[in-house]
Amino acid sequence: MSQTLPPVALPGTLLGSTTKYLPGPGTHIYESYIYSSIAGAVSSTATRAPSATKPTTTSTPTASTATTATKSKPLPLLSVSRDNGAGQDTMGILGVGSGGGDTILPEVESIVLARVTRLGQRFASVEILVVSGSVCREPFQGMIRREDVRATEKDKVKIEESFRVGDLVRGTVISLGDQSNYYLSTAQNELGVVMAKSEAGNTMYPVSWKEFVDAKTGTREKRKVAKPF
Amino acid sequence: MAALSDRRRINAPSGGTTAPVFAKTLKEPGYLEELRPQRSRDPKELRKICECLQCFITVTAHPQKLKLVLTTLSTVLQTSIIPSASGSAYLEIPNTNPPSTSTLIPPTSSLKITASVQGPKPLPRSAPFSPTLLLTTTVKFAPFATRHRRGYIRDVAERDLGVHLETALRGVIIGERWPKSGVEVVVTVLEGDEDAWWGQDGGGNGSGWGLLNVLAGCITVAGAAIADAGIDCVDMVSGGVAAFVRGPADGGEVLALDPCPAEHQEIVAACAVGYLHSRDEVTEVWLKGDAGLEAADSLIEGATQAAQGSFGVMKEVLLENMGKNVKPEDATSKVGGKRKQVEVEMTG
Repeated sequence: MSQTLPPVALPGTLLGSTTKYLPGPGTHIYESYIYSSIAGAVSSTATRAPSATKPTTTSTPTASTATTATKSKPLPLLSVSRDNGAGQDTMGILGVGSGGGDTILPEVESIVLARVTRLGQRFASVEILVVSGSVCREPFQGMIRREDVRATEKDKVKIEESFRVGDLVRGTVISLGDQSNYYLSTAQNELGVVMAKSEAGNTMYPVSWKEFVDAKTGTREKRKVAKPF
Repeated sequence: MAALSDRRRINAPSGGTTAPVFAKTLKEPGYLEELRPQRSRDPKELRKICECLQCFITVTAHPQKLKLVLTTLSTVLQTSIIPSASGSAYLEIPNTNPPSTSTLIPPTSSLKITASVQGPKPLPRSAPFSPTLLLTTTVKFAPFATRHRRGYIRDVAERDLGVHLETALRGVIIGERWPKSGVEVVVTVLEGDEDAWWGQDGGGNGSGWGLLNVLAGCITVAGAAIADAGIDCVDMVSGGVAAFVRGPADGGEVLALDPCPAEHQEIVAACAVGYLHSRDEVTEVWLKGDAGLEAADSLIEGATQAAQGSFGVMKEVLLENMGKNVKPEDATSKVGGKRKQVEVEMTG
């Protein structure tokens, strides 16, 4: 069966057999064949052999058994990408009726950018604005619990010495959480506050893993600072 | 009637909104009867139009496509018409009967439906945790959609249509891909198919034959809007109607696909389905009337045939829209080997 892939697919378009391809984003398996589940451009990428065939990914059992059977050559990954042509010109602008942004959901382990909206004794409430590099259509509610702020000395963490309302935080999703909040963690060097303003309202720059300095007045403020790249 | 339950708005008179029929003309015997529209197409033929805007553009842009367009694009269907919604579509099945020269009342109504998809968006704070996508469908007739004026608040028939539409859509959406989210499908019927010819006693009000056509239209237009919104589906769902009609013009009892209730003296039984084309599955069946067991089978069969017709239009429109949006580099990179390595994450 050496049929070529169609350049574009609609939901329900037959793309290929699971013995030839791995199902990627935008596809689903039905009776051991891969079908498209969204309308968009079809692409197949050669998978990097060791990492992609690990069963840690959420691939379906049929796909992983197929790969282990043909261990010699990894199967190409089939994926269908949404075409964002409609919102192209307004992309990246959030706001009422902007219509821009992607329909994307935070998943466990995805890196997100969030703005702190509220501080509590045991947690900081945030709104997630960017998920894995793409701007969300509308913000998601998130929460950073006190024990997830940093990896060490968790019991001595004080929320008000880690975040302030309005800070921009880079975090990772650790759980889809409860009914309203996604649970975020900043317990890595690269995660934490990336942009903050001082009490005077000036932009600050980071000086250590726990302090920002106001560029104008020189006052120091405590934060859980993300390591600049 | 609407005014009784709805005291917050200024309601128009609940009577009809059609042009007057003068008593003088009614005295002439058979005058009214000669206005009755007749089905001019084959019983197996669906309603179609070719002078729509979309056809015109396609025909002028690609003269070689002319034949294809004229044969497949039988209804007006457009997607991405509402910029602020994540997906939207507009469907129009115009009336095929020529307007009468002796009255201003149009012979049959046409079907005009818009659908918009809002979301997937995070659930409101009060909603309980849901591991799958929550689907909400709302069907509303515009107050001016039918010859008999509708209220501003959804009535029983509209809520019923909403439930039927939800059943049809639930079967195609892969809800597990969108945990903790909700999607709202809002369908507005701008002009609905009527239940019977307007000149008939009472206009056949309440018989509900027109609702089947409206439901099939709603399914088609909502299916197109969902595909436009990029929500994961197992297939595309389209709607179709078939009916057993009886009357002197029809020549006994015949099975008609995509019936226009105004064109038939009597409808014995009718059926609307939501049909998945590539899986050959049915997600929704609404059977109405007095059909026997075998007749019901052929009704459903006929309705799926009609649904296949609307699927053809849907597919054509979505592919055409996608051709506009997909960048040339994406379109040409169909072979895996040629494409540059792209970071792709596996998802469920």
